[in-house]
Amino acid sequence: MSRMRNGLLGLSALVVVGVVAVAAVALHKPEPQISDALAQRKPDVTRGAYVAVLGDCVACHTSKDGKPFAGGVPFETPVGTVYSSNITPDKDTGIGTYTFPDFVRLMRFGVTPSGGRVYPAMPYTAYAKVSDEDLQDLFAYMQHGVTAENAPSRKDGMTWPLSMRWPLALWNIAFHDDSRFVPDVPKDTAWNRGAYLVQGLTHCGTCHTPRGIALQEKDVNGTSNLFLSGSVLDGSSPINLRGNIGDGLGRWSVGDIAEVLKTGVNIHSAIAGPMAEVVEHSTQYMSDDDVKAVAIYLKTLPPAPDEGRATFAASDATIKTVLAGKETSPGGRMFMDSCAACHRESGKGETLAFPKLAGNPSVLSADPSSLIAIILNGARLPSTAGAPTGLAMPPFGWRYGDADVAQLASFVRASWGNGASAVTADEVSKVRARVEPSRAKAQPLAASTDRVTAGAGSR
Amino acid sequence: MSSSGNRTNRRDLLKGTAALAPIVALAGSRALADGRIKHDDWASSAPAPAHPTTADYKPTFFTADEYAFLIAACSRLIPQDEHGPGATELGVPQYIDRQMVTPWADGGIWYMQGPFFPAKPEFGYQASLTPKQQFQQGIKAIDALCQKQFQKPFAGLAPTQQDDLLKGIEKGTVSSPDLPLKTFFTSFLLKTVMEGYFCDPMYGGNKDMAAWTMIAYPGVRADYLEWVGEAKPYPYGPVSMYGARG
Repeated sequence: MSRMRNGLLGLSALVVVGVVAVAAVALHKPEPQISDALAQRKPDVTRGAYVAVLGDCVACHTSKDGKPFAGGVPFETPVGTVYSSNITPDKDTGIGTYTFPDFVRLMRFGVTPSGGRVYPAMPYTAYAKVSDEDLQDLFAYMQHGVTAENAPSRKDGMTWPLSMRWPLALWNIAFHDDSRFVPDVPKDTAWNRGAYLVQGLTHCGTCHTPRGIALQEKDVNGTSNLFLSGSVLDGSSPINLRGNIGDGLGRWSVGDIAEVLKTGVNIHSAIAGPMAEVVEHSTQYMSDDDVKAVAIYLKTLPPAPDEGRATFAASDATIKTVLAGKETSPGGRMFMDSCAACHRESGKGETLAFPKLAGNPSVLSADPSSLIAIILNGARLPSTAGAPTGLAMPPFGWRYGDADVAQLASFVRASWGNGASAVTADEVSKVRARVEPSRAKAQPLAASTDRVTAGAGSR
Repeated sequence: MSSSGNRTNRRDLLKGTAALAPIVALAGSRALADGRIKHDDWASSAPAPAHPTTADYKPTFFTADEYAFLIAACSRLIPQDEHGPGATELGVPQYIDRQMVTPWADGGIWYMQGPFFPAKPEFGYQASLTPKQQFQQGIKAIDALCQKQFQKPFAGLAPTQQDDLLKGIEKGTVSSPDLPLKTFFTSFLLKTVMEGYFCDPMYGGNKDMAAWTMIAYPGVRADYLEWVGEAKPYPYGPVSMYGARG
C-alpha cells in the first residue's frame, strides 16, 4: 500500500517537474548575442536587398496581386493552412517595432518579440545558418528599403491541438539546430559560399530534403546523404539534388545547374511548379558567382543510396518500336496522341523549349507527384531575363482519367532509357484532388457515351 | 471629277465603320453576359463537352419532316459507297440538328445588323437570315418545289430525282420564289454536311472517326515530324479531341 502511495507521489512529482520544465521551455525567450563589432558595423541596405532576393522572402510574404512583403500567402501544410505574416516596417501589423535582436531571434530561433513561436514553415531552421552581417543588412533593408503596409495577419486554419504554438518550443529542442554555418576550411571559397547559401539563405533543404515524422528536415547541415535527396510537398516532388545518375544531378555539369537557376531551362530539363516561382523571384537575380558557387557545392554532394531510386541509360528501343508502327501499349499510344508533338517520340523534346523527358530528374523522381501534376494541370516555365518566353504546357486532366494518366506517366518513366517505378491510379487520384479539385471526381472523358449537358438539348 | 464621289463614299464608309465599333463591342459583351461565351482558366484550355453521335437520336430543333429532308439530303450529298460510309451513317443529320442550338445558328457570332446589300462573294455572307432561318426556309422552299413538281416532299423522291434537283440548285438552274436556293445550298447545306462528316466526333458527326479513317487522316495528333520523309503510310489510326482512337 505504501509502495503504491510512494509510487503515486513520485509520479505526481514527475508530472509537476515535467509541467514546470515544459513551461520553462515554452516561455524561454532566447537572447541573441550581438557582438560589439557587429553593433559598430554600418549596415548596407543595398546589400540587404540582395540578401532578401537570395532568401526569396517575396515568395512567401507577398501574396498574388498583394503589396510586397505584406504577407497573407496561404500554405497548405499536412496539418492545416498557415498564412505568412506582414514583414513590412508597419508599426501595427508588420515588423516596424522590431529591434535588431528581435529580428535575429525570429530569424534564428523562430521566436517573436512577445515570446510567441512561428511555425517552421518559416525556414528559420535554415536562416539560423545565415551570418550576422547578412542578417544585419537584411534587417536594414526590411526597415528602410521596404514600404510599410497596414495589413493585419490572417488567422491560421489549424485545428486544436495543432493550433497551439507553445509545443513548437519542444520541437525546437528536439529538432532545431540554431548554429551558424561553419566554413570547411580545406575547401575553396566558391564551395564554401555555395554551401553557405544552399544550407542557409536559399534554404534549398526546406523543399528538397525529406522530412521526418515531426515534419523536421532530416538533415540541415549537409552531413548525410539524406540532405537534398528529394522530398514530397504540396502535390509536387522536389527533386533529388545529389549526384545520382537517374533522379539526381549526376549527369549535369556546374554550367547546367547554373543555367537552370539563371534561366529556368537547360539541356536536361526545365523548371515548373513551385520551383518556377523560386527561379522567377530569386535565383535568376543571383550573381553569376553565387549561382556558380551553388552549382559547385551541389556537384560535390555524393549520390543518395540508390535503393528504390530510378536509373537512366539512354536507349532508342522506344522510338524504334514507335516508328515501326508497333507501339501498342495504352501509355505509349497516349504519349503519341498528346505529348509527342512537343516532347517528340524520342523523348528528347526541343532544346531549351520543350523539356527532355529522357533522363529528366523531375520525371524520374521516386515520388511521381510532380509528373502527375504537370500532366493533369499543365505547367508554365518561369519567365526570366535569360529565357523570357515562359512557355506553357496545356493541361490534360480533362482528357484522361486517373487510370489513363497512371499508364501514361508509367510509360514516360519507363521509356527512352528511363528506369523509374510505375505510377498507380490511386497516386494520380490523390494528386488530382490537390491540383484540380473541381474535377477530382471526373470520369475518363474518352469514353464514347453521350454527354449532352444542360442547354445543348433545348432551343 | 469622279474622285470626289469616291472620296465621299470612302468617308461614309469610314464613318460607318467607326460607328460599328461600339456596336460590335456591345454585341461581344452581351454574348459574355449571356453566358454564351464563357471564360474561365480551366475551360479556356479544355474543349467544349463531347456530344458524340447516339444511336437513338431524337431531333430537338428540326420537325420530323425537316429531319427527313436532312437525312435524304445527307444520303445524296455524301452517299455510302465503296470508298466509305455516307453522311447519314456518320450522324451528320444529328450534327446539323445540334448546330441549330449553338450561338452560330442565331448569327450570334456574326455581325447581323443592316444594311443588307447584295455583294460579291469576297465580302462574305450579307443576307439578313440567320443560319437557323436558312435551314428552315431552305428546306421549306425545296419541299415546296418538290410538291409542285412531283406531289411528294424531297425525302419521297427517287435518288436520281434528288440528285438532279440538288445539281440544278447548285448550278442555279433551279430556283425558288421564296429564297435564293443556291446560297442555301452552297453556304449552308453542303458546307454543314461536309463539316459534320469530317468534324471531331465531339460535335456529333463523323461517328467513330470513320471519315478520318477513310482518308487516312490521323486526327488531332498535332505533329508527325518523325514520319516525314518515310516512303510509307503513317502507321497509326486517328485520335479524337477527347482521346478516343479509331
